Amino acid sequence: MEPVLLKKFFNAGFEEIRVVDRKPFGLAELARYPLFAPEFLDFLRKVVPSHRHEELVYSIVVTGRKPEKGGEEDG
Amino acid sequence: MPYFSEADARLIIRQTYGEVQSANAEVAEAIYDREELERLPYGSVALALGVGHPVRYAALKPGETVLDLGCGAGIDTLLAGLAVGSEGRAVGLDMTPAMIERAREHVTSLGLTNVELREGLMEAIPLPDGSIDVVISNGVLNLSTRKGRVLAETMRVLRPGGRVSLADLVITEALPEEVLKSPAALAG
Repeated sequence: MEPVLLKKFFNAGFEEIRVVDRKPFGLAELARYPLFAPEFLDFLRKVVPSHRHEELVYSIVVTGRKPEKGGEEDG
Repeated sequence: MPYFSEADARLIIRQTYGEVQSANAEVAEAIYDREELERLPYGSVALALGVGHPVRYAALKPGETVLDLGCGAGIDTLLAGLAVGSEGRAVGLDMTPAMIERAREHVTSLGLTNVELREGLMEAIPLPDGSIDVVISNGVLNLSTRKGRVLAETMRVLRPGGRVSLADLVITEALPEEVLKSPAALAG
């Protein structure tokens, strides 16, 4: 989930963490990818409630910066 | 608790990405500008499998050194190599040999001499501490069972003040367990 991912950036020591892009990613978007067989997309249509088909996940871009000094922790 | 062991996840991902074929540029056209795509070898465009445009937000400058974690067939590595110019350097890292091979063909085809490709793991980046100005990645962090480790490695290889621009998929609401357990979902 997005807050979990951002916390991992924070725990790793990044600063100026920002979500600079955020778009819904639904079954139509997944269908563009050759990674997913039609059978898998059919499976998703069946097991995921229809109200989520257009917003199954979100595509985000996160940016951050390593501090000028220190900031190295394992997340 | 992860549904797949680290070893199983790597096996599934290597196999899926090693075998992937694409006959169209649908993914790339939804993400990148037409002008960007026109500069690149078609193979790199057709095999774009990212989920966003990390290069757009990386504010790359000529002369910088960029690392692309999970470079795949190389589309973002190529864009980074073009952006940093001959005084800069772009390094593409991927754990799937077939993808590195494809990326190498695309680098050669474009005639870039400032791009280097390496096979390796993003959980153990084969680069020295503080050697990178900017780390980019596109739709790859979610493939790792050790995301904190990947970000710690990203931090290690960045110079102080270095930047990261990472595109990825996140869920906002839990998905059914059948989906999370599916190898097809993991590889995507």
